[in-house]
Amino acid sequence: MAGLIQEAELFGSDMPRIEGLREKARASFWLPTAKTEAWKYTKLHALKADDFVVAPSKFLEEMEGEAEAEAEEEHCCCGCHHEHNEECSCGHCHGDGEEHECSCCGSKEHLAFAAYELHFENGKFVPIYPATPRGVEIMTLMEALVTGEENHLLGKYIDYAKYPFAALNTAYLEEGVFIRICKGVKLDKPLALINHTQNGGENLLVNLRNLIVLEDGAKAELIEYYRYSGETKSRYFNNIVNEIYLGAGAELNHCRYQNEAFKAVHIALSSVRIKSNGIYNGFCLQKGADLGRSETQVRLLEKDAKAEVNAAYIMNGWATLDTTTDIEHLSSETYSSQLIKGVVGGEAKGVFQGKIHIAPDAQKTEGRQLHKALLLSDNAEIDVKPELEIFADDVKCSHGAACGELDKEQLFYMRSRGIGEEEAKQILIDAYLTDVIARIPDLTLREWLQHEI
Amino acid sequence: MMSTPLLEIEDLCAGVSGKEIIKDFNLTINEGEIHAIMGPNGAGKSTLSYILCGKPGYEITSGTIKFRGKDLTAMSTEERAREGIFLIMQYPVEIPGVPVTSFLKHAVNAIRKHRGEPELDTMEFIKMVREEGRKLGIDAEMLKRPVNVGFSGGEKKRLETLQMAILKPQLAILDEADSGLDIDAMKVVSAGVNALRSENRSMLIITHFQRLLNYVVPDFVHIFADGHIVKSGDKSLAAELEEKGYAEFVKEK
Repeated sequence: MAGLIQEAELFGSDMPRIEGLREKARASFWLPTAKTEAWKYTKLHALKADDFVVAPSKFLEEMEGEAEAEAEEEHCCCGCHHEHNEECSCGHCHGDGEEHECSCCGSKEHLAFAAYELHFENGKFVPIYPATPRGVEIMTLMEALVTGEENHLLGKYIDYAKYPFAALNTAYLEEGVFIRICKGVKLDKPLALINHTQNGGENLLVNLRNLIVLEDGAKAELIEYYRYSGETKSRYFNNIVNEIYLGAGAELNHCRYQNEAFKAVHIALSSVRIKSNGIYNGFCLQKGADLGRSETQVRLLEKDAKAEVNAAYIMNGWATLDTTTDIEHLSSETYSSQLIKGVVGGEAKGVFQGKIHIAPDAQKTEGRQLHKALLLSDNAEIDVKPELEIFADDVKCSHGAACGELDKEQLFYMRSRGIGEEEAKQILIDAYLTDVIARIPDLTLREWLQHEI
Repeated sequence: MMSTPLLEIEDLCAGVSGKEIIKDFNLTINEGEIHAIMGPNGAGKSTLSYILCGKPGYEITSGTIKFRGKDLTAMSTEERAREGIFLIMQYPVEIPGVPVTSFLKHAVNAIRKHRGEPELDTMEFIKMVREEGRKLGIDAEMLKRPVNVGFSGGEKKRLETLQMAILKPQLAILDEADSGLDIDAMKVVSAGVNALRSENRSMLIITHFQRLLNYVVPDFVHIFADGHIVKSGDKSLAAELEEKGYAEFVKEK
């Protein structure tokens, strides 16, 4: 299945920094098998068809047809695109802040709340930038690499031997953004990376790479939203890597929502490094895709670094959704907490692999992990693999896993009050996920995802 | 006054997991009547209430149950509730994560939808729930808590009564509504129940003590033993029973 590595013409093939990263990754790519420990429960059958194709480089296309592209951009109502709460001059959209289609910018849909939105269409960045406050720098990853803005951070800490799909991602390094929040800057609205796949995205292999740097004392909310519209049976493969650097005292609330087409593949790795007093608060809701994996790797580098990695997944049919975490406490007095809850129906399979590693010097650290799942049918399956590696002796660590089904007495009670069976089940499922959703710090995001369940 | 039958149970045999608990049971409740069924522990009183509500696992082997002339046994639990049957449960279950108000709203709207009425506006609904709650000593804070979670015995029964007041059933079944209640809580609950007495609303009170019947006075009292009614009478039967004990009546058959 080396078919995933294909000949592709990409931007910057003559630049040693960029091509060097790609070459190394190309040589490192390997496809996990049933015997690969990290992929033991999550089978990659969905990739077997071997017919994914890489879309032609948009950067190269644009360089060829520069003038044409510019003319097109002028037509687009960018006012509506990033500040949708304001009156839009295009006359095609409602300007009511509701998600809606805007006929003049294609079918990019906006979030129901105010955010600095960055859009990707079928894996290609739409070069319209929101008006962000001073101290927030957003550019394409290629621009950051060409100008040297990324300071050689990209790919620095990712071990391709361990993360084959990060290698695949790097082999096609091109699309994605570089975001830097400068020292002490606190963003007033969330930054949203909205990935929209639609007709024309069939069989595409999309590799998105985002590099996010919060300097000391910076604070931001980051949303990643993967959505789909079009043929319901469409297959595509979104392979995402986020590299996140949090400086001393920086705080990032990171909210991922995966709602891909139900035949799609979505594999994502977020690699987070946190300095002293930095706080990473991650939440991931997985709902779509046939094969979905959201992997979070956190390195707590210095004293008082904190990370929360929370997640929820809801699935039916024959899907496999995997939540994998790997938290390394590398310094004393660091803290991590994980709450992962899933609801699995049909013949679907939920996978949770959670690892907490505490280095010998990381005394007085605390690592918590809890996974709970609700099975809605007899054929649903849950595989849980908690791992604790503790090399320090003065630590507080815990892990737990529980699995159950809907309470029949609760269902009867609700039905005896006139509530229909399906509605009662939905109420109980919502209630089941309430505590994990409650861990999202921002009320707007919490309400948004609560509504999406 | 013409009495219209609301609930008609004929020759009912029923049970749970293959065990027959209700045997040749007959009872007719007309509109506006309050019936009490009294019987010793383990006689199958709760089974009867679950059979009437259609609890999964409880099966009818023979006989008929009609509610407002319709075959009740063909209806699902929720359909029966929407048609107007309400059960005050002996042990109301806790539902973590579901606040009382939103639970009530789901129930009210499900029933309104069934009756072809529009859904209640949220503000209107909250106002109504608060008002009804106040009468039963249920404050706004309690309405925000998850259903029955951490509620005392008295609070649970008050919430059951509140649900009944809001859902306005045609037939209310009270299954040991007084269990776990101190005298003050019982007064509050029975005042709530009495407030709902009306010409076309009927009640079936299931209890093994006379206590509750001093507060909610029934029109008819039936003694239930061995799966069916062994003796019927008016409210004085309850007093007689209290005096003599069940053994006397169970022997009579």
